[in-house]
Amino acid sequence: MSAEADATATARKGAASALRVLGLPAVLIALWWWAAASSGSFFLTDPGTIAATFAEVWISERFLTDVLPSVGLLLTGYALAAVLGIGVGVPLGMSTRLRAAAEPVLEFLRAVPPPVLVPLLMLLVGLDTSMRAAVVVSGCVWPVLLNTVEGVRAVDPVLADTCRVYGIRGRRRLGVLVLRSASPQIAAGLRQALSIAIILMVISEMFASSSGLGYAVVQFQRSFAIPEMWSGIVLLGLLGVALSAVFARAERHALAWHRGLRAASRGE
Amino acid sequence: MLDVDGLRKTYSGRGREVEAVRDLTFRLGEGELACLVGPSGCGKTTLLKCVSGLMRPTAGTVALDGRPVTGPPPDMAVVFQEYGRSLFPWLTVRGNVELPLKEKRLPKARRRELVDGALEAVGLAHAGARHPWELSGGMQQRVAIARAIAYEPRVLLMDEPFAAVDAQTRADLEDLIRGLWKRFSMTVLFVTHDIDEAVYLGQRVIVLSASPTVVQDDVRVDLPDERDQLTTRSAPRFAELRAQVYREIQTAKNGGGPSGADGAGTGGAEADGAADPDDPEADKGTGGADGPERTPTTTGGPR
Ligand SMILES: Nc1ncnc2c1ncn2[C@@H]1O[C@H](COP(=O)(O)OP(=O)(O)O)[C@@H](O)[C@H]1O
Ligand SMILES: [Mg+2]
Repeated sequence: MSAEADATATARKGAASALRVLGLPAVLIALWWWAAASSGSFFLTDPGTIAATFAEVWISERFLTDVLPSVGLLLTGYALAAVLGIGVGVPLGMSTRLRAAAEPVLEFLRAVPPPVLVPLLMLLVGLDTSMRAAVVVSGCVWPVLLNTVEGVRAVDPVLADTCRVYGIRGRRRLGVLVLRSASPQIAAGLRQALSIAIILMVISEMFASSSGLGYAVVQFQRSFAIPEMWSGIVLLGLLGVALSAVFARAERHALAWHRGLRAASRGE
Repeated sequence: MLDVDGLRKTYSGRGREVEAVRDLTFRLGEGELACLVGPSGCGKTTLLKCVSGLMRPTAGTVALDGRPVTGPPPDMAVVFQEYGRSLFPWLTVRGNVELPLKEKRLPKARRRELVDGALEAVGLAHAGARHPWELSGGMQQRVAIARAIAYEPRVLLMDEPFAAVDAQTRADLEDLIRGLWKRFSMTVLFVTHDIDEAVYLGQRVIVLSASPTVVQDDVRVDLPDERDQLTTRSAPRFAELRAQVYREIQTAKNGGGPSGADGAGTGGAEADGAADPDDPEADKGTGGADGPERTPTTTGGPR
């Protein structure tokens, strides 16, 4: 009898959390529907039509010609930015002198808005994928780089002394001390970089491409294929949600120690 | 084997000079177990950092086997006062103990043997898979000790290593250290502010004065080599030695000059810098921003 009660309780809890997660989106979609129906505007498509168009447009060869290349561009640019940001950030974080020398240049470069690099890179690199990847990298690298520098600088001096005493240096020191203790900050930088990557992917494709999601959305807009345009926007949103979910999972796994440590020191 | 000669350390930063250690000279023989006692803030941690080669003295020298110490020597282990912060939170207890052995390139089987032995010895055989932050302060301290003994050092430096453990564990660890010291014939320099502990553990007790720090006295502990928590501590000779060390520390606190052998350099005419001689409880570093010399000495524990 108690097992039964448990089961109903669990079911009720499940329903409650489903309501919490899906409640607001449901309300918003209903609102949207109502607004589309009552305004009668050509540009405001109702969600039902968007959903139908979505399947039609994207579950087709477009998936291969537009979606995959975009995702590929996004991930390539993001990965390059991560490697570059961490690779440059670590030495900068470890050396006061390097940092002092590089700081003014970094501050300037960081202040340049990456989209203005699109015309420049179009001239320099041309119209191909590597140019678009360069745009993504140029925006994503900063949060990774700056967070890495801060994380590396904040290495605990007692841990650093521990490594010195036990002769831990070189690659092992980098892996076991520097990167691990900076990892929570590096993860914060990578998280910021992810949303920047999506934005820059779309922008670079809007300006300088003949395929990809950003290009497709602009094309639909120009040919007044409004439901299709909306479906592209929805797809970009879903892509963002999916990527940050994957990121959150990876972070949960890699930084389990950090959550534990924080919980332990809060409990004190 | 370990020679400390005329050691002086002045911290400077933000226009303020702190003379942590004025003039220390002493010598440890091979295989000796010496305890270093002194009031809080008198420079014990500073001394240990200079001896371990983690910090450069302002003047004077430290030599190990006749060679000057300029960086951490390869066969020396240190248990830091901030034991909690000296453990890698992303490694398990086993991982922490094993890490220096990996750097030593010991084969896997040997590493396992040493780690198991060390964890067993500190009573943490069951906790190998846990992370440091899942443990109490006393357990963390024992992990740091296990890491040091698994390393099989020739010289072991310990900075108030039993501060966070309960009385029973403390007694056990004291006996453990003596046991290990005999078994591996290490040279041990053990810093404490507990007089009883110093007398119980050491063959020698080096008493430091309050700041400006010099060696106040060097007491030979002529208790029998076989020590026992009950009989040794209740022996009349133990009480005498304890009283002697206690008196020396009191004299030191009240600004009396050293009565021991190493009485060099209590230059009375010299201005006293900005040191805080009347701040015995302030066990805090006034650390600067991010230089390598930042050594906050607040008692460790999980952050
Ligand atoms: N990094 C530092 N900068 C400035 N002063 C320091 C620093 N570290 C320690 N001190 C000072 O030096 C003195 C000795 O400190 P310490 O060696 O930690 O003493 P103990 O370990 O005996 O308690 C104290 O007055 C302390 O405030
Ligand atoms: Mg200290």
